[in-house]
Amino acid sequence: MEKKLLKKDNLSGIVKKMAADKTVYAPVQDEDNVLFKILGPGMDPLVAFANTKNAPKKVFFPHSELLVKYERSPKGMVFAAMPADAKEVVLFGVRPCDARSFALLDMLFDQEKWKDPYYIEKRKKSAVISLACVQPPYSSCFCTSVDGSPTSTQGSDIQLTDLGDNYLVEFLTPKGEALASWFSGATAADAGAEAKKKEIAEKSAAAIKSQIPGRAIKPILDVNFEHPFWDTIYGKCLACGTCTYMCPTCHCFDISDEVKGDDGVRIRNWDSCMFPLFTKETSGHNPRTSQKQRWRQRLMHKFKYYVDNFDAIACVGCGRCVMSCPVNIDIRKIVTDISKL
Amino acid sequence: MEKPLQKIIAENPYVPMPVEIIKIITEVDTKDIKTFRLAFVNKEDEERFKYIPGQFAELSLYGKGESPIGIASSPTQKGYIEFTVQKAGVVTSALHEMEEGTLMGVRGPLGNSWPLEFLEGKNIVIVGGGFAFTTLRSLINYMIFEENRKRFGKITVVYGARYPGLLLYKDELEAWAKRGDIDLNVTVDKGDATWKGREGFVPTVCKEVAPSKENAVTVICGPPIMIRFTLPVFFDLGFSKENIITSLEMRMKCGIGKCGRCNVGSKYVCKDGPVFSLAELDKLTKEY
Repeated sequence: MEKKLLKKDNLSGIVKKMAADKTVYAPVQDEDNVLFKILGPGMDPLVAFANTKNAPKKVFFPHSELLVKYERSPKGMVFAAMPADAKEVVLFGVRPCDARSFALLDMLFDQEKWKDPYYIEKRKKSAVISLACVQPPYSSCFCTSVDGSPTSTQGSDIQLTDLGDNYLVEFLTPKGEALASWFSGATAADAGAEAKKKEIAEKSAAAIKSQIPGRAIKPILDVNFEHPFWDTIYGKCLACGTCTYMCPTCHCFDISDEVKGDDGVRIRNWDSCMFPLFTKETSGHNPRTSQKQRWRQRLMHKFKYYVDNFDAIACVGCGRCVMSCPVNIDIRKIVTDISKL
Repeated sequence: MEKPLQKIIAENPYVPMPVEIIKIITEVDTKDIKTFRLAFVNKEDEERFKYIPGQFAELSLYGKGESPIGIASSPTQKGYIEFTVQKAGVVTSALHEMEEGTLMGVRGPLGNSWPLEFLEGKNIVIVGGGFAFTTLRSLINYMIFEENRKRFGKITVVYGARYPGLLLYKDELEAWAKRGDIDLNVTVDKGDATWKGREGFVPTVCKEVAPSKENAVTVICGPPIMIRFTLPVFFDLGFSKENIITSLEMRMKCGIGKCGRCNVGSKYVCKDGPVFSLAELDKLTKEY
């Protein structure tokens, strides 16, 4: 694995040049928010920021995505076309927690038996450049409690770490190495740079004060599906779904049809387990009629079901749900409380 | 360059295979349950759609949506597949309006199946109620197919409907009754002037038929109320939970374990089910 040192002032220019050549997603200032967006002409990628308000999963799993086009024929609606092939893209400035979310989503969408071609094609044609957190951006960050760290390289093809005057540029995968020519101005990294990254990694991880027993609650969840504790967590939940829409690992979707004249599309849209209609059947029967059941599902899916199926927690500790919940429901407190059952 | 259509579809589990409705049979006198016989437009798809009784498929109506429906035909029936569909929601209502000759789509086969290897060499008790007889019919037709019949022991069937007009597959029931190798017990809750058969609820009939638990497996599908009262009968007869098999239903979209709505605990009904033994269900949460 090659490591280089890049003068800090050069980074923004490199990303802008890249954006002139291919589609680059980057954190940009958009009115009050830092958003992860396609870097258009004249836009500046942020290199110093906390994290993007929206999760970058949307690049691989868009809010709304075309699955197939169809058209009217004398014998009924028939297949017309597939969506266009995905383009090559670079994701710049992804925080390590969000980069890990890609590795977690790969486990589901790129399974042995059933593969999701739409997701996989976009993943294949993308490279992820992450920006390590030299200090945790928020007090609500808890990546170290869910198998991550502020300098985790999981899900990254290149990782950049701010060492002061320079960025340490680590080319982690063949997809990352394929982008090496963009960093031609960088010089070889010496042992001192590596030592410095190690020091930063330890310091940044230690600065994460928010700790939850992410793995430890699994055996408790295994045997407490019916515990009265679940009655205590959902009372103020508005079922707005914000937590699931902000979450970098939530991946539930709906499939629907839209027709205009003789042409139609089948699309998939983000959906949310927090909505009452999510599981409601045609007969009227609904296995999850209460917000209690829906909250339990969300918590269980992240900290038990995903662990059962993939030996991974479906939470990266980004804290977006904690910061975005309109009624201040805090998943960290719920997990901590479960550990005491 | 665009890939040939067949290749795209073969690689993409979200794109339905085109099929033509070649026959529509109205099954019941309320006219809200019909069997749709579908033929594949492309020969390759027919070969690719290799299914086992108990599996389901997403019936796909472009412009309306998709509905997961159990496969009612048996793989021993060549040249077509059949689905028996009750008119209920957007997709199934649109399907009921369709005519023979219409093109639609099918995605599948999906899910696990009745555990054929486990059933082989055993006496099989089939218990069905009302409309939930479709994949059981697939299993029966599979087992009584000439080459397959010797692989299974005694076949006992208890099938009930509320009244005679609601019985599915009436011609087949008559044909099965004439065979010497099925113990067929068709019952209705209440008969009519012309009904000469048995009257009585499914649990009661099961009690009367009293199949032996020896080397036997019960496969049961029906409305929840029927299941609830029938299971104790089989427990009393000494059947273990490992030897009682059923099939679950949940709201589904993708059918391949991605969209996240049909899970019962860590299992997805679409991908890990829909078929479970009672022993397996005991290990799952009761959220279905």
